[in-house]
Amino acid sequence: MRVRGLVSLAAEAVMAVTLTACGSNAAGSAAAPARAPDPAAAPARAPDPAADQFKSVRSYATVAPPTRVRVPAIDLVTPPLEQLGRMAKDKSIALPRDPLRAGWFKDGPRPGQPGPAVIIGHVDMSHAPAVFFRLREMQPGQVVYVDRADGSTEKFTVTKVRQVAKTDFPTQDVYAPDLQSSLRLITCGGQFDHDAHNYLDNVIVFASPA
Amino acid sequence: MLGASLVAIALVAGCVAGSGGKPAAAPASRAAIEAAPLPSGSSGTDGSTDGGLAGAEPAGGPVTPGQFTLQFQALLGQHTMLAADMMRGRIRNDPDVAQAANAAIGKNTDALGKLFAAELGTDAAQTFAPLWSGHVTGLFNYARGLGAGDETAMAQAKLQVTQIEDKLADFFAGHSHGQLSKQQAFDGVADHINHLLDQADQYAARDYEKSDATYREGYAHAFTGGQALGTALLTPTQAKVTETPSWRLRSALTQLLGEHVELVVGALRSGATDAPDFKAAADSVNANTTALAGAVGTLFTPAAGHSFEQLWADHIDLLVAYSAALAKGDDAAKAQITQGLNGFEARLSAFLSTATGKKLASQQLAKALNAHDSMLRQQVDAFVAKDYVTAHDVAYSTYQEMFGLSGQLAQAFGETVAKRLPVGAAQTGLGGEAAIIGGR
Repeated sequence: MRVRGLVSLAAEAVMAVTLTACGSNAAGSAAAPARAPDPAAAPARAPDPAADQFKSVRSYATVAPPTRVRVPAIDLVTPPLEQLGRMAKDKSIALPRDPLRAGWFKDGPRPGQPGPAVIIGHVDMSHAPAVFFRLREMQPGQVVYVDRADGSTEKFTVTKVRQVAKTDFPTQDVYAPDLQSSLRLITCGGQFDHDAHNYLDNVIVFASPA
Repeated sequence: MLGASLVAIALVAGCVAGSGGKPAAAPASRAAIEAAPLPSGSSGTDGSTDGGLAGAEPAGGPVTPGQFTLQFQALLGQHTMLAADMMRGRIRNDPDVAQAANAAIGKNTDALGKLFAAELGTDAAQTFAPLWSGHVTGLFNYARGLGAGDETAMAQAKLQVTQIEDKLADFFAGHSHGQLSKQQAFDGVADHINHLLDQADQYAARDYEKSDATYREGYAHAFTGGQALGTALLTPTQAKVTETPSWRLRSALTQLLGEHVELVVGALRSGATDAPDFKAAADSVNANTTALAGAVGTLFTPAAGHSFEQLWADHIDLLVAYSAALAKGDDAAKAQITQGLNGFEARLSAFLSTATGKKLASQQLAKALNAHDSMLRQQVDAFVAKDYVTAHDVAYSTYQEMFGLSGQLAQAFGETVAKRLPVGAAQTGLGGEAAIIGGR
């Protein structure tokens, strides 16, 4: 600011000199030689205020979408993430088509943006473990890395791990908007209902920026 | 930003079990944006808000637990900014500005007293008010010593402030239903006061950038620390409302938009007087703009965040240009800028109305924004005219009105976003490993 102020001051001084010189020429006779301006006769205009130079920030930084989750504590490195919306029927989150891939809820915050970013994955398939099979082993304090499409990585620390009945799923705690950056990883857990072909619980890992 | 002590306070406030809450009474709130009322919303989904119509100042009478904490945060934030302004006025040896800021702090202290009377009773409010005023006097004396280079006066003022910190800690711990220890309360109060002392030291050393960073931290602390202290004054059951998403969103938007008001007020005054702290003030405004655009970008879409930032930047550019025109005494430029602001208000309100599926009525929002900009200009006009009392009165009201407007925005934003969010559990298992998983 000081440098800019001095430059501005110098420019103003030059401008003042030029204007004063022109004024002299106009007022004097054509034959009269140009004279150096008299600073006392024409005081220099005050420099423009610093506020004149102000420009508001216009550099909105888009956070890139997530591409991969890494959790060293459970030896997890996911394949590229799917992008998920909602199920039309019951408005629950859509499921990854590939049980070996996790998916990010694309109509919510991106990891690293303010608000809760949500990534879900299957715990198992019909005959084998799936991508989030070991999510239930996670503990507070463990680290989660989320890689993004622009090559950047956001680091989170697990704050709590909850196993909740699906009939009592905390929709507000998981999805509701706020302005604190956070991450939720979700999969199934608990007992399996063989009639309904569903687990009775969800395991939810809550994490905050490290 | 959040000190470990306040994390501890928040944990204690959130975890200690206690008695049940008292019934939430409807507020007898004044309409803070009477001139341009937005559609009156219903209560927040958790009953914590009043649809955003109330200003941060209590009107007297009962308040809900959610309102109490929110108003406490907002008033504490306003107090922090006003106290910093008062101290800076003293440091610049600008006693008229300092006195006017001090009078505004008095109004803010009265409002805090009313709020405590509503929640804790008259006796508690009467205990609190002189202690709070006492710490303001200590800060005033510290800044006066700092401005005069009088280290003895500074040391005496620090001692005065420390003694009052102790008494304030007794007050907060004593009304916390056993949720705060004396030390935890002391740490919370001391963090608040240290932010103010530090920004004053940095300002006196002409490190305006660092001073403004501390100034912003102090304001943010008013919300994080204010929530921790405020909820400790409620029973644990009452305090649960502050964990709800709608309350958190309201609080976060109140913080950002209140900060916008306070920072723009400061930047316009510095711009109009071509003060040496202008650049730091303007940089702080930019940081707030970035945060606001980030909020819109995450609540809606990145494209919306980008569009919002462009619109908001137009607004800030025009306001700062107004302050430059004032500095130059350029009335024609002022008139042109005022015209330009009218265009901005229409465009931003149309943008927000569209983004929220017309939950915010465009024309009425434009009027509210027009009133906001008009007040920002009025306060700086008065400041340049050396009518510091009017400048502070108008700035005070601008902050209060923004509190109401932020409630309207939070409600409309929250409802809009909620419509596109998933509901319920995720069916993420097919049972192949059921024997292992279920045996956990």
